[in-house]
Amino acid sequence: MQVKLMDFWPRILEATNQTLLMVGISLLAATLIGLPLGIALVVTKNGGLLENKPIFNALSSVVNFFRSIPFIILLVAILPVTRFIVGSSIGTAAAVVPLVIFSAPYIARLVESSLLEVKPGVIEAAEAMGATPWQIIARVYIPEALSSIVLNLTIATIGLVGASAMAGFVGGGGLGDLAISYGYQRFETDIMIATVLLLVVIVQLTQTIGNFVSKKIRRQ
Amino acid sequence: MIEFEGISKIYEHNGNELRAVDQVDLTVNKGEIFGVIGYSGAGKSTLVRLVNLLEYPSEGRLLVDGEDLTQLSKPELRKVRKRIGMIFQHFNLLESKTVRHNVAFPLAISGVPKKEIDSRVEEILEFVGLSDKARQYPDQLSGGQKQRVGIARALATSPDILLCDEATSALDPETTKSILKLLRRVRDEYNITILMITHEMNVVREVCDRIAVMEHGRVIEQGSIFDLFSQPEHPTTKNFVRTVMENEIPASILEGIEKRGASRHIYRVTFVDESAGQPVLSHVSKSYEVEVNVLFGQITELQGIPFGHLVVELQGEDKEIMRAIDSIQRSVTVQEVKAHAG
Repeated sequence: MQVKLMDFWPRILEATNQTLLMVGISLLAATLIGLPLGIALVVTKNGGLLENKPIFNALSSVVNFFRSIPFIILLVAILPVTRFIVGSSIGTAAAVVPLVIFSAPYIARLVESSLLEVKPGVIEAAEAMGATPWQIIARVYIPEALSSIVLNLTIATIGLVGASAMAGFVGGGGLGDLAISYGYQRFETDIMIATVLLLVVIVQLTQTIGNFVSKKIRRQ
Repeated sequence: MIEFEGISKIYEHNGNELRAVDQVDLTVNKGEIFGVIGYSGAGKSTLVRLVNLLEYPSEGRLLVDGEDLTQLSKPELRKVRKRIGMIFQHFNLLESKTVRHNVAFPLAISGVPKKEIDSRVEEILEFVGLSDKARQYPDQLSGGQKQRVGIARALATSPDILLCDEATSALDPETTKSILKLLRRVRDEYNITILMITHEMNVVREVCDRIAVMEHGRVIEQGSIFDLFSQPEHPTTKNFVRTVMENEIPASILEGIEKRGASRHIYRVTFVDESAGQPVLSHVSKSYEVEVNVLFGQITELQGIPFGHLVVELQGEDKEIMRAIDSIQRSVTVQEVKAHAG
């Protein structure tokens, strides 16, 4: 039973919406967790602004732990947590929870590496001027690293697009799910191609916007 | 203004002790430009960072304006740091901010009202000669301009002390000169005490009043520019002096002296101050039966005082030469140069 691509557009549109929703919300939530976490990693590091070995080691281990779990396993393993947070373990909203847990530690590492690009001398200069640690974070670290953080968040966003394809496992829907369940498993080649093309466009657009914004920030 | 009393900074590295700064006693007076010179690894960078406690001393007392900074709480220390400006070899400007915002930074973090910040920034940019660059970003500026921004930023909070960490080491000689001139103006017009560290002898000669020479974490010699340049004692000091003043007799001349043996009478005549302006040698050759042959020499100026030395050969009878030397010695210093010595 062949499905006509033309008749299928509403489904594709809906799936696109689901993908954008999942990626958008996950990105926002994961950044809200990952950004402070990345900052905390940098300032508690050996020689950091607020050097604190126990806290750094604890944070670093937690980040590494979550980063080592394959997404597909994480998706299933945290079902109870998901149910607790969104009230249901299936659907688009339910897919957001594992996506956040998956990408927040990743974003933390990306933010960490962006902040470490800020020259230590600039931090030292701010310290010599009598800036508080909080002032250094808010007025030196973040603005100096912002352009690089945006580029890294772009990478994280594209990673999220990829991970969201697996959201079908918990009934999250989205383009990836469509490509797999219709295109791949039911041999609807044209639907598979159409959805994959859409994913290509989304990734291209994300990267282009990311590059543009990052460049804009660098040269205000 | 700044007093180091038996200050040491000790790092532990794999169980080994590294004394980056070792039992240093130094006093920098108010309104003075004090230079610390040494090779890399001598501990000068650590020394300058002890003043605003970017490094904590392991031993000893450090007083700034009579106050022991190590006794202060963190908020108190931050307050004191606003009275101590600092500039760096690599400028350390905020790349994401314009010149104006860089200079405004220390004021903004102190909660100075915006209007006051604007007028202060304008005034200080005028002072360093960068009024027209206020809206540019650091990467649009030359090295010398970046250091001017660094100086403007350090001066924004009207500090009493300016610390210079190899401030001219990344600059070409011409730019170095203009930055040093600016630093002198900083001292002269604002009466700011300047402590600078450098490995370049021409830098300290240009601006410093007094200097200390550091090696292996210790201060091995200190004194006025004039004393250290005219009478360096420690071999390292001599090496530094030699980088800007040819003190030693060149090998080719020494060779010539050696060839003709010990029968020659060669002397090093050192001129200081007004003696440099006196026709000592011509006077000697007129008054005694000796010929004066200048082999080598250099006259320079240190802190506005002429200073120099000549290596001369006196030809004539031994008795006449002795009398001539006696006469010269009354106004200048004379040392006999042995063929093998130099």
